[in-house]
Parts: sequence; C-alpha cells; structure tokens
Amino acid sequence: MEAVFKRELQSYFKSPVAYCIIAFFGVLTGLYFWNVNLYNQSIEFSMTLGSLTTFLIFFIPVITMKLFSEDRKNGTEVLLRTSPVPTWKIVLGKYLASVVVFSCMCVETMVCPVIMTFFVNDGGVFPLAMTVGGYVAFFLLGLAYLSVGAFASSVTDSQPIAAVLGVILLIAITFIETIGETIKGTLGQILVWLSLSSRYSDFASGIFNISSLIFYLTFTALMLFITITNIDRKRWN
Amino acid sequence: MIEIRNLVKNYGKVNALNDVSFDVKKGSILGFLGPNGAGKSTAMNIITGYIAPTSGEVTVDGFDAVEKSLEARKRIGYLPELPPLYGEMTVSEYLDFICDLKNVPGKVRKSMLDDIMYIVKIGDHRNRLVRNLSKGYRQRVGFAQALVGDPPILILDEPTVGLDPGQVVEFRKIISGLGRNHTIILSTHILQEVTAVCSDVVIINHGKVARKGALSEFTSSNSGERRYVITFDTSDKETAEKILSACQTVKDFNFSRTERGSIIYRAVTDAKQAAGKEIFFNAAVANVALLELKTVEKSLEEEFVSIITRDAQEGE
Repeated sequence: MEAVFKRELQSYFKSPVAYCIIAFFGVLTGLYFWNVNLYNQSIEFSMTLGSLTTFLIFFIPVITMKLFSEDRKNGTEVLLRTSPVPTWKIVLGKYLASVVVFSCMCVETMVCPVIMTFFVNDGGVFPLAMTVGGYVAFFLLGLAYLSVGAFASSVTDSQPIAAVLGVILLIAITFIETIGETIKGTLGQILVWLSLSSRYSDFASGIFNISSLIFYLTFTALMLFITITNIDRKRWN
Repeated sequence: MIEIRNLVKNYGKVNALNDVSFDVKKGSILGFLGPNGAGKSTAMNIITGYIAPTSGEVTVDGFDAVEKSLEARKRIGYLPELPPLYGEMTVSEYLDFICDLKNVPGKVRKSMLDDIMYIVKIGDHRNRLVRNLSKGYRQRVGFAQALVGDPPILILDEPTVGLDPGQVVEFRKIISGLGRNHTIILSTHILQEVTAVCSDVVIINHGKVARKGALSEFTSSNSGERRYVITFDTSDKETAEKILSACQTVKDFNFSRTERGSIIYRAVTDAKQAAGKEIFFNAAVANVALLELKTVEKSLEEEFVSIITRDAQEGE
C-alpha cells in the first residue's frame, strides 16, 4: 500500500495539476475570505468554508480523475493487478494520495482564520470551536467527495470522462437534500438523512455530532468498497 | 511448475479460450505460439492472475491462480505485451517502486537492481525519464521490472516485438541465460525465436491447443516421415513425376519450383525407408540426371503453418 501511495503522491506533485488545483483553490478562498469575512466583517470563517464546498464538487473530481483511469489507459493496471498487492491496498494507497492533495488545499485556507485572530478586538472572542468544527466538516465532506471521485475514475479509462462523471455524481448527491425537502414524507426524510450536505451544517455551527461523523466515514468506506469491487469485477468479465 | 487444466474464457459471447490444458515443467522454456488473436495474451493474463478464467484452473507452483492469487503472483514476473511503465519516473525510481510493490527488502535491493540493470543493460540510463527512452529501452525496463524480486517463473508476452535485429539477438541470449534457473513462458509469433531458445512448444489456434510437445518432436526426424528435395536436370514435369510415382517408398510428392531450366520437387517418405537410392536409380533409368537430392528437416514453421491452415480448412 505504501508503494502505491508513494508513487501516486509523487505523480501528483511531479505534474503541474496538483499545484494548479491548490493554487486556484487558494485564490478562490482568498476571494471568499475577502467577501464574506473582511468586506462583510464576519468572524465566522466556517461560513466561508461552507461556500467553498460548492467548488469542491468541481475540484475533487479533477484531483481523483486520474487515480484508476490513467493506469487503465497506459497499461500499468496490469502491473498493479499482477503484483502481490491486494486490490484494497491499491485502492486505499491511491485514495490516500488524493487525500494528501486535498489536505494541502485545506491547510492553505488556514491562513485566513490565522489572519483573523490578529484582528479580534479587545474583548472580542475568536469562535475557535465553530472554526474547528467548520474544518472538520469541510474535511469529512472532502473525504466523502474524494471517494465518489475515486469510484468515477474506476469506471472508465478516460480521465476527462472520469472527471465529468465525478462532477455529475457529486451534483446528484448534493441535490438529494433539495429533492428530499421538496417531496417531504418518509422518503423525503430518508433522502435528507442520506445527503452529505444536510449533515454539514451541524459541524459548521460548532456542534460535534458523532453520528454525522460516523455517517461521513461510513459513506467514504462504502464508496471505496464499491470501487474495490468494481475493479475486482473486471477480473471476471 | 505451472499446470493449466481445461481453461475456458469467454468475453461475453466471444470464446477466447476453449478447453486449454498444458503443463510447464520446472526449468523449461516454453514457446507459446499462435497467430494473432489465438488467445495467447488471454492465457497469460489468466496465469498471472490479471483476469479470472470462466472455468478451468491454473496452478502456479502449487497455488491456485484464482483462490491463492497473491501467493501465485509472488512467484511470477510478468512482462505484458505493452511494458507497464510510468513515463514521469526515472528508470531507477520506477524500479525502486517495483521493489516496493514486490516487497524486496532494502538490504538486498541495491545489489539486486544493479544485477538486473547489468543483465538488461540499462545501467547507463538509470537517471533518464522512462518517457524519453526509445522503444527498445522501454522494453528493457519492462523486462527489468519482471526480474525484480527474482521470481522463479517469468512470463514474457512477445518480448522482442519492435526491437532492432541486434537487440532481438541480445534479448534471446538473455532469455536463454535466465532459462538456466527460471521457468519461462515465452509468447511469440517469431518461430526462429522458439527454435533458438525454447525447450518445449505449445501451439494454440482459435483458443484451443493445436499441438504441444518438446521442440524436438516438431521436427521431421521424430514425426515418422522423412522429407526430400529433389532437383531434376529437366524442365519436363511429366518425366519427373513419372520417376517419382514409380518409387514405391515415396508416399507423396509435389512440385516446388523451376530454377534455371531444372525443376525441383519435394517428396515425403516413411522415416524407416531411405528413398534416396530408389529415386536416384529410377531417375538414372529414365535418363534424367539428378542435380541435387537431399533430405530436409521439417521446420517448426512448416508445422505451424500446416496446423493453422489445417484448422482453417476444418473450420470451413
């Protein structure tokens, strides 16, 4: 697993893609930071993060699009799948490499709340819990999105198709909440319960909800499991 | 070392392998022959655990290739048709990654990689990016990858395709050398390659084993017949055919070609009976000089072509 993880990570940072994504995300963060926190004089950075989650729908699939499709395209899938490494380790290694790239995106945004702490007036309090909660939510949502992107990449040997499919899946997942709220009833409640976004606000408002934490992690594990199954399934085709 | 039993593989409705069985003995170099699309790569992909068979089983050193896939894979070095390379890595980074994948301990890693790079002669290119290497060198790096971890079994899918003639000869030498302490399956459609390095041959066609055996069995000395090439000093086919049909030992003959006024025939006789004498005297009686009378070995190529064409005829 370490081997796959290491190689995947190197490959991210040897091409300009990871740098471009991280840099571009940094610019967007700056714009929202200026608009939400500085211009409107709000101390809640978790709101900024909340706005940025919309962009994750587009950023994440670009990070994950190459994970499996690239190997299928250039024939290295044979190498990995005939090496003495089980599929789950290959998937996990690759997934974790994408998590590192996403973590870099998270870390760079931390500049903003750090700047804010310098401007808290005497007597004012920086909402630490809310900010930390916002980050936990942001990170967990990212993990879940990455797993969806990884699955999309395991479906095709074309990176652009993997990216587009990833975006479509993430948009669909995001709209589950809206659909659930519209149709109401039991089914509506189930859809809202299942949606990733409805659980986001708990964390973002500083409430540490253990069931939501478990939900995000379970969702991620399930998506990775489906990815592993999808790759192993090809053996039998 | 490798046992393949009743292997069947269907891709949807397409039948790629149909009841393929053969063994690869320990320490042998098996030439795996067949025309394009015969199912060679499919069979190799199954042996290496890349794909699973629809039915049948493959045992690698006692481990089932599907049930105990990881154990089986540990024992195999595989060079697929397209070398599985990462262009953005340098040669040594790439081989280091392969060592990681195959769990080669750090202590032996350096000496192992030095040995491998020496064998396939890529030491001078170790710091170059794989993407910038020529086709021949990529093939070498792919080969090096298969050798990492010193697996007892090597499976090479058309390793010399696209190499220049010098490199082809070199690769064959390397493969012969490795054959001393490895079990090798060498897929190819270059027949000279098989004659040069292999000890056993399996020919597959349309997903079935058409023929298998030791390389020596494929030549005429063991196939129960002897072949002659006869050059008559006449341009009259009728006379020549009269002479040959008068020979009781000649089972079959056919016209080969005309060359500078003389005609050349090929004849087949039983291995036990020497037909040379009879042909010679019959020709003398007919007052036709023989310019050449020689026995020829049936080449692997003829065997291969005859199997392929026979199968094609049967299929019609």
